[in-house]
Amino acid sequence: MSSAPTRESPSPLKREYHPLPAFLSYLVPGLGQISQGRVGKGLLFFVCVLTLFYYGMVLGKWSNVYLPDSAGENNPWKLPRLLANLYNRPQFAAQFFVGIAAWPAVIQYATYDKNSEAGPFFGDYQRVPYESRSGDKGETKISGDVTDPQKRTEFREKAKLESNKALSDWRGKTINELQQEGDKSWDLGWVFTVIAGALNIMVIYDAFAGPAFVVNPPAEQES
Amino acid sequence: MPAPLLALHYYWHLPFLIVLVSLVYGATRYDQWGLILRESFRWGVRLTGFLFAVILILFLVATIT
Repeated sequence: MSSAPTRESPSPLKREYHPLPAFLSYLVPGLGQISQGRVGKGLLFFVCVLTLFYYGMVLGKWSNVYLPDSAGENNPWKLPRLLANLYNRPQFAAQFFVGIAAWPAVIQYATYDKNSEAGPFFGDYQRVPYESRSGDKGETKISGDVTDPQKRTEFREKAKLESNKALSDWRGKTINELQQEGDKSWDLGWVFTVIAGALNIMVIYDAFAGPAFVVNPPAEQES
Repeated sequence: MPAPLLALHYYWHLPFLIVLVSLVYGATRYDQWGLILRESFRWGVRLTGFLFAVILILFLVATIT
């Protein structure tokens, strides 16, 4: 029969918390565990979380991680701007937790210019994709082969194109085109990226407080 | 008539998801590799069963209606 714990015996519930490794694991999945000496486990987290995230991005044709500035168009609860944007794109609330890998979307959001076709630092990577193409419903079409970004921006400004409309000759694919031309794997893609972000929350907690179950080796248990 | 279940190729992405999710989940439970792999395997089986049940129900609903 096991004896009752004495006052001196350490509580089995006592845990130590490590905020710095937790932050490192937020930045790069598994980095916190590596800094704690749990290298194998850290590498496992790194590979699994980021593979899932980028696999999801590939399935989504690299256009499913972004945060739109759409509070002006839809804000039924009168929320602060950032919260309203997250309300309109809740996927990003989970994708954000994958760490640095999702920061280009934050930078694109912070530097967003609705008339420009690309962000200043990352081009159209993790930038809000266009929903449809101008000219679909009789809007002004750009004529000629205009490749100069400045001229294209001016044209968009003059034509007063909505922020979610691409110019008729835009080289990328709009969301409508991706959904019409592809199968459901485009939708599966953002699910993968969201799951990757949610999994990294568990990874962050593992770095912060250790694994859920601590199993001591037999020699330690006897002493 | 719905397409045969495994002909829908987006289902083929799911094993990948199951393996990665199970491994990460298992590794957040324990620090020892033996226990991590055992827990991951258990979660893999549970997730596979759950997803198969969902797929089967959706397939039956699509076939009947």
